Amino acid sequence: MDNERQEELLFALRTDTAPKSTQRRLFKVRSGVLPWIATLTPAELLIIRSHGFRPISAVSATCWMHYGFSWTKGHEQGWHTALTRLQEEARAAGANAVLDVKMRTIPLHVEESMDFTLVGTAVYVEGLPSGNEPVVATVPALEFVKLLEADVVPTGIAVGAHFEWFYDWRGTADERWTYVNTEADQLSRLWERVRRTAHSNLRTNARDQGNGVLAHVNFSQMFEGEEGERKRYLARHIVIATTVDARPGAQFPHEVSIVVDMHAGKTPLTGTSRHRQSYEMNDEEGGI
Amino acid sequence: MTIELPPHARERLKGLRSAAHPKGVFTSDFSVNEFLLVRKAGFEPIGLCVGSCVYHVGIQYTAWNRNQELAVLSDAMYKARELAISRMRAEAAAMGADGIVGVKLTIKRMEWDSKLLEFIAIGTGVVHGVGLKGFRAHDGGPFTSDLSGQDFWSLLHAGYRPVEMVMGSCVYHVAHRGVLASLGTVGRNVELENFTSAMYDAREIAIDRMQAEAAAAKAEGVVGVDIHEGNHAWQSHVIEFFAIGTAVLPLEQEIAPEKIPDPIMVLSVND
Repeated sequence: MDNERQEELLFALRTDTAPKSTQRRLFKVRSGVLPWIATLTPAELLIIRSHGFRPISAVSATCWMHYGFSWTKGHEQGWHTALTRLQEEARAAGANAVLDVKMRTIPLHVEESMDFTLVGTAVYVEGLPSGNEPVVATVPALEFVKLLEADVVPTGIAVGAHFEWFYDWRGTADERWTYVNTEADQLSRLWERVRRTAHSNLRTNARDQGNGVLAHVNFSQMFEGEEGERKRYLARHIVIATTVDARPGAQFPHEVSIVVDMHAGKTPLTGTSRHRQSYEMNDEEGGI
Repeated sequence: MTIELPPHARERLKGLRSAAHPKGVFTSDFSVNEFLLVRKAGFEPIGLCVGSCVYHVGIQYTAWNRNQELAVLSDAMYKARELAISRMRAEAAAMGADGIVGVKLTIKRMEWDSKLLEFIAIGTGVVHGVGLKGFRAHDGGPFTSDLSGQDFWSLLHAGYRPVEMVMGSCVYHVAHRGVLASLGTVGRNVELENFTSAMYDAREIAIDRMQAEAAAAKAEGVVGVDIHEGNHAWQSHVIEFFAIGTAVLPLEQEIAPEKIPDPIMVLSVND
């Protein structure tokens, strides 16, 4: 990458705007000079067309964080920065919504750091109030349409994260020499505090984006280590949610039929593509 | 179905099948649902088409502390896939297929040599049934699509037809951080802007290339796009961004959005 290009990208990152070259490409797409790009399946294309949406372009955003202070807290900042950048790219594409947003982590392991990447399809939705931030939906397009029909607008991503160190100075959490059934109550309390705080952070975080969340990712880890003579424990919890703006009491305008699917095992009725891969391993070889 | 075909079409179809396959046997890797839906869409499978290519990926030296595209590797990854796909298309053309659906593109590493990669393209060649014509790639050869049989049916009902698979590749070297830079961020959460900008640069190159291919194919749009990151056992700071999708054009008589029937909502009582 030459210096000019590097400068252009750094400027875009620091000012939270889409890079100039991306803006130029997106302009050509929205004016019909270049073909549109959609990460949607044909079935999703079918459904969004019948509901008055127009696909414009695949859009993406990345924030690569070094977590020198805290891995856990880094997630909040990382996803939010990526979210803001994704909205900027959608705006440059002339879109008012981004669907099918997938949360990804690129499989490059670099010292104490992690990237937060969002990839989705920017669309223009007829009849969405203009002038607002582009809506970002981390659900597949079919589910986005289902939600809209039910008068629920998915709006963005909320993250609640918390971690705590627990230093066991007196060795009371160490139950290795206990031979009766007993609750490890110090660790229980630690977990409860960490999870409660994470969930309360989620609530605060969601408040300025909508009036509810669908929390799809709950991720927690506990580590045990030595600090001098004594043990210390680290507990962390991250909860990630799609925020929604729902009107209470709104009805879903469809008849629902109950069916038995004759598939053995997995059924395409319930299986949708993976949308949140950042908290799983993804080092398999194979496809493309 | 064949009973309703005009005589010349029937002869052609029969000719195709018996020429490629003695006794008119067709081969395909369709699941039962795919098979039924491809036929429901008005197409008949005639045979599996395969193309493969074993490629020796060259060497490129990189500056340790620079963000840059590794053009030699990008070129290798693209050319090898292109070779596999064009061989698969040649097989389809020889069979008399009008197009190939359900193309799967895979990469395998050879155990004994990390620089040898095998690229495989495999899909099912199909021919038109009644009332459908002009499904061709922009060069007049068989169309290609990585969409499954179910997706193929849905695409036609959304008012589009597949033209060809389009792709863009960019292999990129992400700069290492110097010791001083690392020391400067001890104990703080900060964005590594160099890494972020490398991702932006590489992804933009891959998408841009795919879109240019779609424009060259005179397509209206690209569906089912997957933007995929992979590290094919290269060094730790090297990554490939690969964008792939199926370029589409509206059917001759495009279906108006309001003519697309609403889907029926069902609740599966399976577990």
